[in-house]
Amino acid sequence: MSTPPPTLSTEAPEDGLERLARRAVAPTGWLLLACAIVWGLLVVQAPEDAVQGIVQKILYVHPPCAFAAYLGFFLTALGGAVYLARRDPAWDRFAISAAEVGVLFCALLLATGPIWGKGTWGRWWTWDLRLTLSLLLFLVYVAYLLLRSFTEGDERTARFAAVYGIAGLAVIPLNYFAIDLAGGRALHPENLGGDSLGEGMGWPFLAGVVTCLVAFGHLFARRLEVAGLRDRRAREAAEAAAAAGEPAWDT
Amino acid sequence: MWAVLWKDLLIEWRSRDRVLAMGVFALLVVVIFHFAAPAGPAAGGEATREHLPGLLWVAYVFAAILGLNRAFALELENEALSGLALAPGERGWIYLGKAAASLVLLVAVQALAALAFALAFDLDLVPVLLPFSGIALLGALGLASIGTLFSAVAVRTSYREVMLPLLLLPLLVPVLLGAVRATHGLLAEGTVPADALRLLAVTDAVFLIVSFLGFEYVLDE
Amino acid sequence: MSPPAIVARGLEKRFGAAVALRPLDLEVAAGELVVVLGPNGAGKTTLLRMLAGLSRPSAGHLEVGADGSGGDRRARRRGVGLVAHASLLYPALTARENLVLAGRLFGVPDAEGRADALLAEAELEACASQRAGALSRGLAQRVAIARALVHDPPILLLDEPFSGLDPRAAEALEARLAGLHRAGRTIVASTHDLERAASLADRALLLVRGFAALLPREVARSRAALEERYRNGLASPPRLAVGVRP
Repeated sequence: MSTPPPTLSTEAPEDGLERLARRAVAPTGWLLLACAIVWGLLVVQAPEDAVQGIVQKILYVHPPCAFAAYLGFFLTALGGAVYLARRDPAWDRFAISAAEVGVLFCALLLATGPIWGKGTWGRWWTWDLRLTLSLLLFLVYVAYLLLRSFTEGDERTARFAAVYGIAGLAVIPLNYFAIDLAGGRALHPENLGGDSLGEGMGWPFLAGVVTCLVAFGHLFARRLEVAGLRDRRAREAAEAAAAAGEPAWDT
Repeated sequence: MWAVLWKDLLIEWRSRDRVLAMGVFALLVVVIFHFAAPAGPAAGGEATREHLPGLLWVAYVFAAILGLNRAFALELENEALSGLALAPGERGWIYLGKAAASLVLLVAVQALAALAFALAFDLDLVPVLLPFSGIALLGALGLASIGTLFSAVAVRTSYREVMLPLLLLPLLVPVLLGAVRATHGLLAEGTVPADALRLLAVTDAVFLIVSFLGFEYVLDE
Repeated sequence: MSPPAIVARGLEKRFGAAVALRPLDLEVAAGELVVVLGPNGAGKTTLLRMLAGLSRPSAGHLEVGADGSGGDRRARRRGVGLVAHASLLYPALTARENLVLAGRLFGVPDAEGRADALLAEAELEACASQRAGALSRGLAQRVAIARALVHDPPILLLDEPFSGLDPRAAEALEARLAGLHRAGRTIVASTHDLERAASLADRALLLVRGFAALLPREVARSRAALEERYRNGLASPPRLAVGVRP
């Protein structure tokens, strides 16, 4: 039997998702830089709010972070769901990347919230609807990430995380109603429609949202790329070990 | 499904470990709350009475977690869980059997704890017994449903005792808030607020569906 | 010629980056007894779990069950009985209760009657009311086999059934398997024990580190031949390749 050992498909063609991610890293990076500069300029020259003072400028950071944080979790759950349907590890990498970037923005959200709160209402923390919801989101994120760390076996981790991601996503609207029920609508500044933003605040706000989303996209792309590389390297190592006759895996 | 329910209850009856742990825990909670937050006519008593529904439900939640932690532990011996997984058909039914068993245990403990609470804090539950039981059941359903799913998950992770509360508590907020609001409304005004009941019902439904479908993926390898 | 009981094409299993089972082609005829040989970590348990429907293949096609229901895993489990390395019994329940439970899980019409019949057939009436946790390994093994047979599956899978048994129990087990084989059941059993393999097997599947080689009857029935192939396989797994898709 002199045929060479069959090669497995570990030389997997670089996954479509990851190819996209790799290509996206550089352009989103530049875009991010541009957005950040524009945003910075706009924020600086935006008028100070009559009532809230300079702290009000957190407006240009806090809600944009919220967009990114919630988007992040939505993508995490989505990645998990697609993984369960297709069993393609690339989607699990999608999910973990979204979770790691999302939790970052969620942490930022929770950090900026109290700063704004202290500046406007004089208290570091209140149990109002949005803040509490964001706190709960953060806890779900953390639980998700801890679940992943403490589960052994890539495939099992991916499965469990996917199920938890979906449960977590389902619980967000439920939490909204729950907190509302418990009377948490009081203090948060009312929803900012275009008309409730004062003169000159619209553009910086929009710039903030765009910048945050682009930042999310850039970090997400990078993280996805890293995940793909790690996976490829692990597979190559396993393949090399097997060819050398060492056990690749313990029953 | 009934087979699994019967099996769980039979095993529990033989060893009684889960229900005892849960029951004792709930009683301890009552005792501690009594000392920590006196509910008599003295100063601060009124405030405590306000908080009683919350305390009761916190006790329920933690007792539930205690019981749920053990729900799948018994399946790990001799890999009995694989034995269940071999059964043909939809695995969601296995989930329902186990969730139902946890529900039965939880309701039993709820009754016990409610009794203890009523006695300790001089609450008169008899006039509102029926609606109270309804709320308790809805809440327990929420706890047992999502709890059973993640008990199966947690039992196969490291630090399994810590993992379960970690996973469950953020998800249990709607159940907790809904149940507390409902109980509070019931005790204070005599009627159950409809929006709280709606929240509980919707949450239960969502949890049951997610868990029934998700269990297949948890059991799959 | 009845359709094959088990058909696998390109069956593969990975755990994350590591490959547990290389692409495998296998056909097991109805009524055949195939022994799966290999050292620890070879992938025997992985293969059996996939055949039982407990584990999902990473790639490839698997059909288990001669009635064509093989494609859908859920239905497939009905045609298979598994005796795993662990007994799958609930220690707190008696042997009889464990069997009744299994019967109910598999939708057997009269679970209690069936449990009694199985206990009688395996001469286990004496320990029927004993808690499964109190049974010796040999007895527990026999109950586990009864459990696997509760729904009368045409295919029986056994994972290292001979390990941990004293010689007498092992003899009894061999006889039992031979009897089941004669009665027409398809059996796939994994073991380290070359002696038993040689005396039971129609064919053998040699697995080393996920690489597989299908050994024909002449080899499988000869202890010496098996040993030689086994040793060669251990020395160089990739060169085992027969039945591995290039």
